[in-house]
Amino acid sequence: MKPRKDLLTIGDLSDEDINTILDSATAMKDIFTKSVKKVPALKGKSVLTLFYEPSTRTRSSFEVAAHRLSADVTTFTVSTSSVVKGESVHDTIDTLMSMKMDYIIVRHKNSGIPAVIARHCKAAVINAGDGAHAHPSQAFLDAFTIREKYGTVAGKRVVIIGDILHSRVARSTSTILKRLGAEVAYMGPGPLVPPQAYTGIPRFSNWDDVFEWKPDVIYLLRVQNERIDSPFFPAKDYHQAFGVTDERLRRIDDLNLSIMHPGPVNRGVELCDAAMDYRNSLICNQVENGIAARMSILYHLTPQTQNND
Amino acid sequence: MTNTYILNATWVLDGKPYDFCLGQDSDTACELDGICLPGIERIAPAGELEIPAGAPRVHDAAGKILMPALFDMHASIEIDGRSKRECVSRAGQAAIAGGVWGMLVMPTPGFCFDNAATLDSFHDAVTQRSAAEMLPAGCISEGMKGEQQAPYNTLAARGVSILSDGKNPPSNLLMLHRAMKYASEIGMTFALRGDVPALTANTCIHPGTTSYKLGLHGTPPCAEEIGIDTALRLAADAGAKVHVQTVSTAGGVDIIRRAKAAGQQVTAEVALHHLLFTHENVGIYDTTYKTLPPLRETSDCEALLEGLKDGTIDCIVSDHTPCTPFAKKQDFTSAPQGMIALDTFLQAIYTHLIKPGKLSWADVVRTCCINPVSIANPVDLEEDVPTAAPLLLFNPENGVEVGGDTLPSGTLNTPFLGTKLQGCITLPLQ
Repeated sequence: MKPRKDLLTIGDLSDEDINTILDSATAMKDIFTKSVKKVPALKGKSVLTLFYEPSTRTRSSFEVAAHRLSADVTTFTVSTSSVVKGESVHDTIDTLMSMKMDYIIVRHKNSGIPAVIARHCKAAVINAGDGAHAHPSQAFLDAFTIREKYGTVAGKRVVIIGDILHSRVARSTSTILKRLGAEVAYMGPGPLVPPQAYTGIPRFSNWDDVFEWKPDVIYLLRVQNERIDSPFFPAKDYHQAFGVTDERLRRIDDLNLSIMHPGPVNRGVELCDAAMDYRNSLICNQVENGIAARMSILYHLTPQTQNND
Repeated sequence: MTNTYILNATWVLDGKPYDFCLGQDSDTACELDGICLPGIERIAPAGELEIPAGAPRVHDAAGKILMPALFDMHASIEIDGRSKRECVSRAGQAAIAGGVWGMLVMPTPGFCFDNAATLDSFHDAVTQRSAAEMLPAGCISEGMKGEQQAPYNTLAARGVSILSDGKNPPSNLLMLHRAMKYASEIGMTFALRGDVPALTANTCIHPGTTSYKLGLHGTPPCAEEIGIDTALRLAADAGAKVHVQTVSTAGGVDIIRRAKAAGQQVTAEVALHHLLFTHENVGIYDTTYKTLPPLRETSDCEALLEGLKDGTIDCIVSDHTPCTPFAKKQDFTSAPQGMIALDTFLQAIYTHLIKPGKLSWADVVRTCCINPVSIANPVDLEEDVPTAAPLLLFNPENGVEVGGDTLPSGTLNTPFLGTKLQGCITLPLQ
């Protein structure tokens, strides 16, 4: 893999980059099984998590990943920083770069912010989710999870269900899965699934069409109420129309399909309670694999800060 | 003082060479193809003009095009961190550089043309600082808040004949309807952009492949179409004249075409960038291409060009909007909308529309010189007579690479930065 400073979108990566990061994630996961869960790969390096949006899972996952590579991790708490006093992103980054950070892991509600930061600083910038644009580390953990389950991603059929319009997970995960040879389809409420002409991805509007398509994996997205400024669909109908109900779960079980979800799950909306304990649910695997994937990402990026040492 | 002789210049409309004698009397004027040529004392076919022996000011203009300078119906000149006088001065220089002798200046928060004092101080600043004519577009509502009508009689007494609330046309249709009924009786034209704020809030790009890829919310074309249709229906009912600003959609062109066919008093403009670029130019969050309304599809560009040629769209405008480099360095959602276009206006029109054969010189004279003047109707306030467009010489053979030093606006938010544009302009002629 050629030296790469940032991870902003899956589209920026070559096939070789994608496979290298996925392959290394397997090795990173092996580290977990040892009694000493740490390797010195990033010893002495500084990792900063800069989350302008609330996040527990992704942030913790990155922090655990960085710790397991022996990096020093600093958490920048936006709600108590100068950002709330109106400081621009550029000025915040100038301040942080003066502290000689090597890696910046950033999440922001606006699409494109990580790219702005990456252009502006020498640290390796990892996009941990920007608006509805991209969430590449989620894409890696999803691809890794499917590969782990089936041995390969190529040829598998994955249907992503829910709020595609606002979902960076849908964009990044569909991109990596297609690059690895999977087939991807979307399904969800009309206003929340962009036309196939925009996405290049087949679009279904109901479960019958989904089952007829014969998917291997049902990937449910969280209904992101915090991104919805005015109602897109009749909320009370969502579970019945688009969620995994008890009845659909039985059919999914009969067909031996897997269920994935990026979390956190809205029980009774995307998934019925029973689906959380479904034998082919990969949701907990996704969380565990998230750490391995993020370790691999951190390991393979090359900050330009070393040149100044 | 002596006369100036411009020899062998190609007249823009018939493509034939003529000799022109530019006199010193500002009231002198000739006419050619129905266009007033202020300052010209005599015209003769090339080689036939009598030149006094030893005349000191004789220019060979072979290969250069003589034409009226352009009038821009839509420019915003305010920029953060600059005094109003500097804004006026820089926009004036930018206009002259782009072959534009006069412009309609849109109200912005810093140039809120809703009262006599602001208009008077603007008029003074223009008189003292600007190389180009600047007509203010008066506000439709006080403070452009869309609530209370601005004092139209006061504005009219200071030469305002066009009203606009800038980038945010009033969404209060009752206020707008009453404003139209009132102001149309004192000869005002309403300049409005088609918009439905409820449909376009939090959007920043045309919906399509690029918006999906970048995770940005799209501005549906129907918002513009509904907005234009609404404005036209209100105006038809109120008996008001409407000028539709910055049409960007094929659907918008169709609505205006139908209204004109039905005999409604409507004119329309298209911004140059909506003829030249599409949403795909945004690439990976290039904020230079963030405009209001957003850049659309190739089919929209084609419909707009067709509308220009068949007379549905009356004018090409710059929609000049200077932005500081820092503002445009922000992420796409946060960065301001707009490009600068005055600085390179005629050069860009020539390079990207005339040279490739998309528009003729006659189209450009009609849509950039004659129509805008007839809509904006610039009047010399002191003399109370219409102001005629001065002449310029355009040398299509010379070109220049656009860079910071070629942009009098002093900002860099142009898509032509680093590219070569054909055309060297002499304005004014001396």
